[in-house]
Amino acid sequence: MAGKITIVLIDHSYLVRSGMENLLREFPEVSLTEVFDGSEKHLVEKTMSLKPDFIIINPKSIKDSLNSFVLSLGNDALLIGLVDEHTPPVIRSRFKHILTITDNKYDLLNNMHKLMGTNSKDKSGKHENHSLSERETTVLKHITQGMTNQEIAEKLFLSVHTVTTHRKNITKKLGIKTVSGLTVYALLNKIIDMGEVNQQ
Amino acid sequence: MRIEKDMKLADVIHHDFNLVPVINRFGIHLGFGDGTIEQICKEHKVNVAFFLIIINVYHDPQYFPKKHLQSFPVGSLVAYLHNAHEYYLEQKIPEIKKLIVKLTEESGDKHKNNFKLAFNFFEEYEHELTAHIDREETSVYPYVVELEKVIESGTAPDKVLARMQSYSITDYEDEHENVEEKLYDLKNLIIKYLPSVKNDAISYNILLELFDLEKDLREHARIEDMILVPKVEAMEITIKKMN
Ligand SMILES: [Fe+2]
Ligand SMILES: [Fe+2]
Repeated sequence: MAGKITIVLIDHSYLVRSGMENLLREFPEVSLTEVFDGSEKHLVEKTMSLKPDFIIINPKSIKDSLNSFVLSLGNDALLIGLVDEHTPPVIRSRFKHILTITDNKYDLLNNMHKLMGTNSKDKSGKHENHSLSERETTVLKHITQGMTNQEIAEKLFLSVHTVTTHRKNITKKLGIKTVSGLTVYALLNKIIDMGEVNQQ
Repeated sequence: MRIEKDMKLADVIHHDFNLVPVINRFGIHLGFGDGTIEQICKEHKVNVAFFLIIINVYHDPQYFPKKHLQSFPVGSLVAYLHNAHEYYLEQKIPEIKKLIVKLTEESGDKHKNNFKLAFNFFEEYEHELTAHIDREETSVYPYVVELEKVIESGTAPDKVLARMQSYSITDYEDEHENVEEKLYDLKNLIIKYLPSVKNDAISYNILLELFDLEKDLREHARIEDMILVPKVEAMEITIKKMN
């Protein structure tokens, strides 16, 4: 998981807030801000000014204004509902994801892990979309020839670390993870030809 | 939405028709009538608690069954997983291969070789998946069934204890991620890199199939990792205590 994750928690209960704070200590990359008082307009403004990746809301804390509140928050952050077993489906369905207040620690952590996983994936998909640099193309060529990172590093007079970085970037840019997938890509784009593949 | 036993199965399918292949694995087929989940499960001699866990896992990716819900015979879990394997290898994969062949035929002569690359790539994937499934069918599942028998009988033969020493279920996790990667690659090859053809209808069908298979396999692996493995770990501990 790369980079910082900002979470805003909207809940009126001191006990729940401290509980969540405690739980999120398990995620060092998370910074948590709690917002819980003031008018609805104030809450929205304050929340959005923090540019959160996730907003965890206890629907009880904002009662009747939940709909308008959800609408004005827009789609950028992932809305997570903090609910219990009595929360009706109409309220649950307002949220993309649900955390259940009465779950045990194991289930809560599990769900948090999954949630953060989904969001960080979304982010990496959005921005990177450039074609390969000359260096990356050379590295790609060697990968498809079945060379290890170590071998590529020696051949190109690079550190293994640099080769690993190139590899990561290639996969990120192309959206292809496996060596055979990269080989198909290289063949389609005439970076290598059939003869070179058969050599290995 | 949490799916409960007093809901009508027909309503559930209306709500999420992706569940059709999943209920098939329990021997329940369309034309099942107007009953509730509980009634229909009874008719088909299916354990309701287990049925609910599986369809909820498929219906809601965030769902994870609570511990107290997880009391059902391991045998039914293994039977379910086995039926899912059959579905992947005998229906899904052949269907996708057929579609890629069709796409190759419709592409102009100039591009035929490129589509053949995609076909070979998918065949490689098929081999990997088959190997993974074989390992489960011939080694993991029989082990699991054996453990349950041992617990029922109350005594652990030395043979089983020795096997537990040399092999533990914990070794079996991890492999699932690798199985997913090639499918991901193939989707991107089709979406971004294979040459365009006049009509996207076939490619669209391939993508539908790939997304569907990918999701099914993901939930399948989730069931194996998060329900089967912990259950077996618990059985291993019980047996160790028996002696
Ligand atoms: Fe499996
Ligand atoms: Fe598996």
